[in-house]
Amino acid sequence: MIGTVLNRTRGTVTARDFQRWAAAVNDLNPLYFDPDHARANGHPDVLAPPLYVQYAPLGVPTLDQLRPDGTPDRPALPLDGYPRRMAGGQDAVFHHPVHDGTAITATTTLTAITPKTGRSGPFLLVTTHTTYTTDDDTLVAEITDTLIALP
Amino acid sequence: MRPPPPPGDPIPALTVTPTPTQLFAFSAATHNAHRIHYDRPWAVDVEGHPDLVIHGPLQAAILTRAVLDWAGPTGRLHRLTFQHRGSAYAGDTLHCTGTVTAARPTAVDLALAITNSRDEVLLPATATVVFPTW
Repeated sequence: MIGTVLNRTRGTVTARDFQRWAAAVNDLNPLYFDPDHARANGHPDVLAPPLYVQYAPLGVPTLDQLRPDGTPDRPALPLDGYPRRMAGGQDAVFHHPVHDGTAITATTTLTAITPKTGRSGPFLLVTTHTTYTTDDDTLVAEITDTLIALP
Repeated sequence: MRPPPPPGDPIPALTVTPTPTQLFAFSAATHNAHRIHYDRPWAVDVEGHPDLVIHGPLQAAILTRAVLDWAGPTGRLHRLTFQHRGSAYAGDTLHCTGTVTAARPTAVDLALAITNSRDEVLLPATATVVFPTW
């Protein structure tokens, strides 16, 4: 199971989508909104906020793929008995800025499932590594995610 | 050209108090339907939280804003590492702080944190910002 590619999805970064994300963060950096400002700083167009890039290739879960709490089921993960999931953290490296119109492919590999015992009982630490590449295979970002799975 | 900042230099603090409206907007912008972020009765009665939960990725995004506001238009986030250590809820105030830990000719390392108003660290982090045209 470790080393398995869990997911490969592709999606296009668009200015409207990353500007909605930046507006929701209340991060109104003109590099994300003002093409003239972006060009004056060496970019071909407005750029996506670095943390946004991970959202562009996300798949589209249908309503019947959502569990009662609203989270998508992830049948690819062998986490029977640990239905509750919490984000544990990230280690993200950004190699290149991403601009409006760039298609990104995200490839997620399962790197570890580690059983742990905390104050409130057992849990699993699940780590995945995701690469974000453009259609010409340029690696623009890579992110190691830690997920905490609780009984 | 400007000189790299010396280790120990703080970045300007950023203080944010996310509202339920902001939490909903972030859920929508990330296609996240988890009810703990917009359905208060579900968050409180079913999942046992004191209020709507502030998304971990929103906290990371707010902290990144503090870093890149400090870095200016020529600074580029190269690496960000963070751990979710505590939960935060609608109405909680997030205090984003950071200091320079190392400065090289074209890159600066930062130690960062989000703390709440009870001085609990919710999200410790480190970052490297590169300045290609420093």
